Amino acid sequence: MASFSIPASDVDNTIIDPTNRPGVMTGDNSLASITEQVSALAESDKTSRAWKIAFTISVSATLMLFALIGYLIVTGVGVWGNNAPVFWGWPIVNFVFWVGIGHAGTLISAILFLFRQNWRTSINRFAEAMTIFAVTCAGIFPAIHIGRVWFVYWLAPVPNSLAMWPNFRSPLLWDVFAVTAYATVSGLFWYLGMLPDLATLRDRATTKVRRIAYGIAALGWSGSSRQWRLFEKAYLLLAALATPLVLSVHTIVSFDFATSQIPGWHTTIFPPYFVAGAVFSGFAMVITLMAPARKFFGLQNLVTLRHLENMCKVVLATGSMVGYAYAIEFFIAWYGGNQYEQFAFINRALGPYSWAYWTMVSCNVLAPQLFWFKKVRTTPWMMVVICIFVNIGMWFERFVITVTSLSRDFLPSSWGYFVPTPVDVLMFIGSFGLFFTLFLLFCRFLPMVAMAEVKSVMPHGEDH
Amino acid sequence: MSLLDQQPNSKPYWRSLDELADKPAFQDWMSREFPTAASELPDNLSRRRWLQLMGASLSLGGIAGCRWEAEEIAPFTVRPQNRTPGEKQYFSTMWELNGVARPLTVTSIDGRPIKIEGNKQHSASRGATSAFDQALILSMYDPDRSTGLVERVRKELVPRTWDEFDRVLKRRLATHANRNGSGLALIKEPSSSPTQLRLLEAFARKFPNAIVCEVNAGDDGSQAALKNVFEVDGRIALDVSKAKVIACFDADPFGKHPDSLRIVRDWSDRREPDGDWMNRLYCFESNLSLTGSNADHRVPTKSSDVLSMLQQLERAIAADEASDPGDDAPGGQRVLAALAEDLLKHRGESILIAGSQQPAAVHELVLRINHRLENFGSTLNAVASEKSQSVGVAKLLGAIAAKKVETLVVLDANPAFGTQYSPAFVSAMKTVPFSLHVGTHRDETARLCRWHVPMAHVLESWMDGRSFDGTVTVGQPLIDPLFAGRSVSELLAGMLGLKAEPRELIRETLTSLDGRFRNDKQWRRAIHDGFASGLGVPEEANLGDAQAATTGAPFAGSVQPRPPAEVEVVLSLSGATHDGRLANNGWLQETPDAISKLTWGNAAVMSPATAKSLGVSHGQVVRIEANGRSVDLPAFELPGVAKNSVQLALGYGRTAAGHVGGLVDEGIDPVGVDVSVLLPEDGSRVLTNVTLTPTGEKRDLATTQDHFAIDAAGLEAIGARIGELIRTGTLSEYEEHPDFAQHRGPHHPPLESLWEEKSYDGHAWGMAVDLNRCIGCNACMVACQSENNVPIVGKDQVLGGREMHWIRMDRYFSGDPEEPEVAHQPVACHHCENAPCEQVCPVAATVHSDEGLNDMVYNRCIGTRYCANNCPYKVRRFNFLDYNAPLEEPQNELVQLVINPEVTVRSRGVMEKCTYCVQRIQDVKIDAKNERRSITDGEVQTACQTACPAQAIVFGDLNDSESQVAKRHADNRAYGMLSELNTKPRTKYLAKVRNPHPWLEVERHDDHGHGGVNEEQTHAAVSPQKSQPAADLLPISGGGH
Repeated sequence: MASFSIPASDVDNTIIDPTNRPGVMTGDNSLASITEQVSALAESDKTSRAWKIAFTISVSATLMLFALIGYLIVTGVGVWGNNAPVFWGWPIVNFVFWVGIGHAGTLISAILFLFRQNWRTSINRFAEAMTIFAVTCAGIFPAIHIGRVWFVYWLAPVPNSLAMWPNFRSPLLWDVFAVTAYATVSGLFWYLGMLPDLATLRDRATTKVRRIAYGIAALGWSGSSRQWRLFEKAYLLLAALATPLVLSVHTIVSFDFATSQIPGWHTTIFPPYFVAGAVFSGFAMVITLMAPARKFFGLQNLVTLRHLENMCKVVLATGSMVGYAYAIEFFIAWYGGNQYEQFAFINRALGPYSWAYWTMVSCNVLAPQLFWFKKVRTTPWMMVVICIFVNIGMWFERFVITVTSLSRDFLPSSWGYFVPTPVDVLMFIGSFGLFFTLFLLFCRFLPMVAMAEVKSVMPHGEDH
Repeated sequence: MSLLDQQPNSKPYWRSLDELADKPAFQDWMSREFPTAASELPDNLSRRRWLQLMGASLSLGGIAGCRWEAEEIAPFTVRPQNRTPGEKQYFSTMWELNGVARPLTVTSIDGRPIKIEGNKQHSASRGATSAFDQALILSMYDPDRSTGLVERVRKELVPRTWDEFDRVLKRRLATHANRNGSGLALIKEPSSSPTQLRLLEAFARKFPNAIVCEVNAGDDGSQAALKNVFEVDGRIALDVSKAKVIACFDADPFGKHPDSLRIVRDWSDRREPDGDWMNRLYCFESNLSLTGSNADHRVPTKSSDVLSMLQQLERAIAADEASDPGDDAPGGQRVLAALAEDLLKHRGESILIAGSQQPAAVHELVLRINHRLENFGSTLNAVASEKSQSVGVAKLLGAIAAKKVETLVVLDANPAFGTQYSPAFVSAMKTVPFSLHVGTHRDETARLCRWHVPMAHVLESWMDGRSFDGTVTVGQPLIDPLFAGRSVSELLAGMLGLKAEPRELIRETLTSLDGRFRNDKQWRRAIHDGFASGLGVPEEANLGDAQAATTGAPFAGSVQPRPPAEVEVVLSLSGATHDGRLANNGWLQETPDAISKLTWGNAAVMSPATAKSLGVSHGQVVRIEANGRSVDLPAFELPGVAKNSVQLALGYGRTAAGHVGGLVDEGIDPVGVDVSVLLPEDGSRVLTNVTLTPTGEKRDLATTQDHFAIDAAGLEAIGARIGELIRTGTLSEYEEHPDFAQHRGPHHPPLESLWEEKSYDGHAWGMAVDLNRCIGCNACMVACQSENNVPIVGKDQVLGGREMHWIRMDRYFSGDPEEPEVAHQPVACHHCENAPCEQVCPVAATVHSDEGLNDMVYNRCIGTRYCANNCPYKVRRFNFLDYNAPLEEPQNELVQLVINPEVTVRSRGVMEKCTYCVQRIQDVKIDAKNERRSITDGEVQTACQTACPAQAIVFGDLNDSESQVAKRHADNRAYGMLSELNTKPRTKYLAKVRNPHPWLEVERHDDHGHGGVNEEQTHAAVSPQKSQPAADLLPISGGGH
C-alpha cells in the first residue's frame, strides 16, 4: 500500500513565485497513493455517522418533494401561490436557479479543458456531478409546473395521432431542447470521464457486489493504449460539444423571458447576463460544497487552496459582470424611453418587491467584492459564507426577474402581488433534498476526484 | 312521503277505502310502506337467517354493481311542435324586483332554460338586462331551494304533502272566514301584479278584518313625497332622454333605481358627442355610486348635508340668478352655482333626482324644484299607481303582541332578516300559534314558521306585473316547477278557494283589464311578446293646482348643515345581493362591486381621509355603534366617498341563505356582516348619532383590483399611463380636435410585423367599446359568466387573485383622492391580430382562426401559462384548480342544468378567455348558410353586448365597411389600447368625452395625459390647495391601503 500524508493544515500554494512554482496539489502523493486516497473513500466499509445523518435528512426531504408532487398532480397547480398576473412563480424561479447552478460543472470540465487549465482536474468530477444533480432538480420543475402534467410529452416533437407538431416559435420549446441536450451531453461527458476510474474501482473491488456493479459501470475498460487514444479523442469531442451548450442553455432559458414582451423581461442583455449569472451561481455552489467536502473527506492535498482561490476569482469576475448587467439594465430602461420598461425597473428598486431586489444586489454584487481580499479568497469558511450569500442572491435574482416583472406589467388594473404557499417553500426545500441525496450517494460510492486526470498533471506524471 | 303526492293540481287519488276514511290501519300501513325512519328488518330474526339474508344481499348487490346503470331513453315518437332537439328557443317572461316587473327573454335548449336576456320589444328593457336579471337563472337552479313542504312538530321537521297542506289551510281559513278574517294576517312584498291586486281585493272582501302587510326593502321616499306635495298616489317616471341637465342628490338612478335600464339607455344615447346635444350629469352624494362615477361633476356631500345643499339650490333657483363664485369658492359651492346656472338655462329640460335613503323632506324639496323648473310633463311624470291596501309592519307587530293574530301567512317575504323591525319580528313570530311561510328557500323567516311550503321560482310560474312605466307585462313558465312549488298568485287563489289554473288566473286578469284578451289570438300574442301591448299605461297623475306648493316661499324651516366633523353612517342596498335575497347567488357574490371591486362581503367604506381621522386603515376592523347596537366591519378606503361619511351595504350576513350565502345551521359562515341591526325604528338609512372605534383586528378584503397597497412609485406610473389607456377629453376639446384621442397615445416609429400577416376574405370579427356610453354596471360580466359557463371560484381564490371573469370592468381614479374622477373600462380578450399569446404557446393551443378570432383550444392546452404572461391585457384566465368540481357533487347536480351546452366546461389545468362568443357566431353562420343568405350586420351579438343597457359594446364584421363596428373602428375617437406593442387589437375603444360646465373646465396641459406630478397619495388628508395645476390625471390607489 502506497504511503502518503495529508498536510495537517492547508499549505498555501497560492503565491505564484516564478522561480519556485508550487504544485497545484500539495503533499507528497505518488500515483499509487492518489488511487489509494480517492478509492478508499468509495470503498470504505464503514459509513460515517455524519454521512448517515445527512443522508437521512436529504432522503426525507426528497420523499417530501415527491409526496408534494403527488399532491400537486392530484389537486392542481393551485396549490402554489401562482395567480393572475403572476402566472409563473417559485417553480420557474427554482428551475432557473438549478439550471444556473448546473453550469459550473460543464464549464470547468469542458471549457477549462479546452483552455488547458490543468488545475481543473482535481475538481471537475465533483463539479460535473453537481451539474448533473442540479439539472435533475431543474428538470423536475418545468415538467410539474404545467397545468396538465399528464400531457407533458406534447412538448416533444414526436409524431402523434393528432398530427400536431409543437409550436416551434415558442421559446418554451427551445427550452425543452436546450435543457434536454445539455442534460444528455453533461451526463455523457461525466460518465465517459469516469470510465477509467470506475475500472480502477472494479479492479480493486474486494466484494462480489462491488465487482459486478463497478464492472458493469466500467463498460469493459481495460486501459489499453487503444482505449486511451479513443478515450482522449471522445473526451475532447464531447468537451467541444459541451462548450457551446454551456453558453446556449442559459441563453435559451433567458429567451423564455427575453422574447416575451413583459417589461423587465423583454431585454437583449438577457443572454450574456444569464450566462454570467449561471457561471457565477455554479461556481459559488461548487465552493459551497467543495470547501467543506475536501475537509470532511481529507482531500486538502488534492483540492488545494489554489483551486479554491481560482474559483473565488471566477466568482468575483462573474459577480462583477452580473453587477454590471444590473446597472446597464437600469441605464437602458431610462435611455430607451419606454415608460413601461422604465417603471419595471423603478418598481424593482422601489416597489413592493424592493426587499427582494436589494437582497439580490447585496448578495450578488456587494458580497463577492470581498474576494478582492486575498485573505478572504484563501480562507475556506469565509468563502463558504460569501458563496452561500451568492446562492441566496442568485435565487432572488430569478425571483426578481420572474415575479416582480409579472406582478406589475402594462395595465395597472391587473397588477397583483405574489405570496408563496407552504407547498412552494417545501417543494424548494425538497429539491435541495433531492440534490443532496444524489450528491451524498456520489460521494459515497463513486470516485470523487478524477484519479486518472489528476495523475496526468502531477509532477510524477510529467516524469513519465 | 311519496313524490306522487306532490303533483300540483292533480286530482286527489286515493289508494284504498281505508285512506279515504283515514283509518289508523292505513296510517300504520303508510308508515311501513313509506317509512321516514321505520325499521326494514323483520322481528325475531335468528342468527342463521340473518347471515343468509346478509350474504344474499351482498352477493346480489355485487351483481347489480357489475352492470352499467340501466338508462331508459325514450325518443319522441311524435316530435312536439316547434321543438328541434338541440335548437334554442326563446320565450318572453318576467320577474319582479321592488314591486316592479322586469321583462325578460329566456333562452331554452331542449326544455331547459339556460340564459336570460332582456325583452327587446319591451320599453322597460329594450333588450338590456341588469346583473340581477342575468343571475336569476342561477337562482332557479339553486340546490338550496326547498324541495318540499315541511311542518315543524315539536322541533322536528315533518315532510308534508300539498294535500295535507291544503286540508290544514282550508280548515284554518274557514275558522277565520267565519270571523270576517279576524286573527288572520298576511305578509307579502309589494307587487305590481294586477292578478295579485285582484286576488288581494277578493281577499279583503272575504276576510275584511284580516291584516295585510307589505314589507319593502327598496322603499322609495319619492312616493311619500308625491303624496305630501301633490296629494297624489303615484311614482315619478323619469324621461332622461329629454334632460340636458341631470342632477342627482344622493341618488343612483343608474344602479339602484327600478327603472335603471331605461334611464341608462336614455342617458347614454345622449352621450354621443356627434349628436345634437350632450347631457350633463351632476352628482352630490356621500357614497361614490355608479351614477356618481359617471358624472361630469361630482361633489362628495354627506348624506345628512344634502337637504341644506338643496335649500341653497332652491334659493338660487327662486331668485333666478346664478353667478360664478370664482376659483376661490369651496369646490362644492362652485359646482352648485354652475348647476343653478345650468338649470335656469334649461328650464323644462332638466331633472333633479333624490336618493331613496334620503328623508321625505329631501324628496319634497326635489319635487318642488323640479316643478318650479317646469320639468313635470317634460322630463318627468308623476304616474298614478294603485293604492296599497297594506298596513305598516308596526301595526302588525302590535296586533301580534296583543295576541290578535292566530294565523300568519308570509307570502314570499323574509321579514326576519335585514329590516329595522326584524329583531322585533323574530321574537313576535314565536307567539303566533299558526305561521306559514311560502318561499323558494327555507330562509330566516321560514325557520321561525310552523309550516314552510315551496314556492315556484319565477321562471316556473305564470306571472304578470307592471314595469316601471306601467306596461302590463306577462310571464310564462319556462319549465314545470322543479320542486312542485306554487306561485304566490296560485296560493292566494287557493286561500280564496278559487280553483283556477295559474294561467287562467293571469288571463282572467288581463281580460278584466281589456276584453280583447278573450280572443285566443290576442292572448297568445301577449304571452309571446311578454307584455300586453297598448294596455294599461297608467294615466299621468293630475298634479292639480300645484302652484302653491312651489311658488311660495322656499322650503319652510331652515336646516343647518351638520357639523363637518360629525361622522355619519349611510346604509344602502347591496349591488350584489340587493337586500340579501340574492345572497345565495355565487355569480353575484363574485361580481366585484362597480366601484370598490369588493367581492364576497361588505365593508365600512370610507374615504382615505376619514379612515385616517378614525385611525383605521384598509382591512382593519372598525366597530360601529348606533341605536345601542353595534357591528364590526373591516374598513375599506375608497377615494371619493364624502369625508366623514361611512357607507355600509345591507343584504349581507344572511344566516339561512344557503350554502353560498351562509347557512349557520350547517356551519357555513354568513358572507359579510348584517348591518341592518343598526337601523333605527323609523328605518332611516342615514345615521348621524354613531360612534366608530377601531378594534385592532384585521380582515381580508377580496377585491379584484388593487389587491394590495399601491406605493408611491406605482401611483406615479398609473398616473402616467391611464391617460393613454383610457383616453378622455372634454366636449369642447372634441369639437376643436375631433381626433384628440389619436394624440393621447405614445409616439413610436412605424410598426412592422415579424411575420407575414393573415388576410381575411370572409369575415373579420371585431368589437368596439364606447367608453363614453359604458357606465361600469357589471351586467356584461354576469351575462358573460352565464353564457360561457365561467366558474365561481370563491372568496379565497379571489383573495389569491384567481377570479375567472372573461370580461372584467377596470376602474381607474384620477385627481384628488377625496374628489376623484372615475373611468370604467370593460376589458375582454382583444383578439389581437399579432397575438402575443399565440407565439409563445409551445403546443399551439391558442391559434388564429381564418375569421380573425384568437381561438383557445382547450383540449390542446397543457397549461404552461406562458400565453397569460405574455398577454399585455391580462385577460387570460387559468384553471388553477378544478373550479367546476362542485358541480359534480351529488348535492349540486341541479346547478349543472345552468351550463350552456354550446360552451365547453373547462377542466383544471387549462387556460381560458373570451372567445367573442364564438358559439353565437357559429349559430348565426349555420342559420345563414341553411337559408342561403349572408349574415346581416348586428345579427351576431355577443352576450356582453346584448346585456349592456348603455349599448356601449358593438360587435360585427370589420370586412363589411357598412357595419356598425367598422364605422366605430373608423371613428375619430377610436383607439386600440396598447396598440404601440403592435398587437393590432380587434377590440377598439372609443374615447370618453366629458361634458363639464364651462366654469369648471380644467385646462389640459399636454396632449398625452402624462400626469407628471405625483400628489401625496391616498393617505393624504384633503388637500385644501387642490388646484394643483396639472392635476388632470393624478393617480390614486383604488383603496388598496
